[in-house]
Amino acid sequence: MGPWFVRATLLLLSMLGLISGAWLRAPALWLALAVLVAVRVVVEWPLPDNHIYLLAYWCLGVAMALRFTDAPSQLARSSRLLLGLVFAFAVLWKAVLSPDYRDGRFFAVTLLTDDRFSDVVQLIGGLTDAQLRENREYLTPLPEGAELLTPPVLHEPRRFRLLVFLATWGTLAMEALAAGLWLAPVTRPSLLLLRHIVVLLFCLTTYAFAPVAGFGWLLIVLGMVSCVPDDRWLRMLYVATYAIVLLYSEAPWASLALTGLG
Amino acid sequence: MRERSWAALPAVMLAVVAATQIVLTETQGLSPWKGGGFGMFSTLDGRPFRYVRIFVRAPERSEELAVPPSLEELAASAEILPSDLQLERLARGVIAREQRRGRPADEVRIDLWRVDFAVGSLAPRDRLLRRYEFRAAP
Repeated sequence: MGPWFVRATLLLLSMLGLISGAWLRAPALWLALAVLVAVRVVVEWPLPDNHIYLLAYWCLGVAMALRFTDAPSQLARSSRLLLGLVFAFAVLWKAVLSPDYRDGRFFAVTLLTDDRFSDVVQLIGGLTDAQLRENREYLTPLPEGAELLTPPVLHEPRRFRLLVFLATWGTLAMEALAAGLWLAPVTRPSLLLLRHIVVLLFCLTTYAFAPVAGFGWLLIVLGMVSCVPDDRWLRMLYVATYAIVLLYSEAPWASLALTGLG
Repeated sequence: MRERSWAALPAVMLAVVAATQIVLTETQGLSPWKGGGFGMFSTLDGRPFRYVRIFVRAPERSEELAVPPSLEELAASAEILPSDLQLERLARGVIAREQRRGRPADEVRIDLWRVDFAVGSLAPRDRLLRRYEFRAAP
């Protein structure tokens, strides 16, 4: 949460908003939160993750919306644009600007080298612990000119290749669909519902693996405030998804499943 | 109409920052993972596949240093954005740390490396992205 003066002030202001409805609806409080988060981004530049930027935009959006009589619809409009643009830029990076994403290298290397994915790679990708270790050895570059007597081999079983394919193209397809649906001025009830379904599915699938629950929670909040008052079930689904993302981040589900399977 | 425009302000800011991030990745070597452009989980061009190697020199000394915990944040910043400013901050941090420990350090060289993985075979290869030399004021 940044340097101490940002962290302390953010926590105090958040506490005020939680204990008092009047403070919670005060544009000044949300503007202050937006400024504090922005200060954190500047002070820690270039280290902050992308969802910290999104948090600043969101707080600013709330501050703007609360200045007007029809705050809920202003907030929904602001959230719709933010969601659409987040997904659109993510698609731009994956589909256009990153060749190593399109050819599958990104997920293949990340799944094999990032410790946080090792349980999933064994559970779904079908690699043994020994194969995973040998793959990591294979993916570690040797010093210039060096050569091993018995070089390690890269193990890529069929299940692992399928996992890489699904992660690469499933993520891109969901993000592209989300970008299109949230940025387009859709009015048909079925498409409006589909907007929310895509975000919920994205959060339920992505954050089971991706270790950035904070981003997921922010996307859920942005989606939830875009619901109309009649969307009671949809709101409940968002709350349930929020809880599931929380469980994903706290419970080592893949490790437990791997142990359970022997 | 005016209200609708205000509601779009955060989105406009997001778009401006994200477009700037794309420019910075091209011109300053910023990692696509950072900078507010939402390029995370799209490329291997980021940490840990970008890393720095630090060398210090003095009249009776020339050696490579492992990045100490106290300089990890500066090293991470230099890996993510290898601009003169970030590299100089890291170099100054290295010299200050060496001097605190009573060890001579007149010059610091920072090499920024990136690991490339071949298409298909995923065979890894190190590639030097940038070399930066800093001389401490006498």
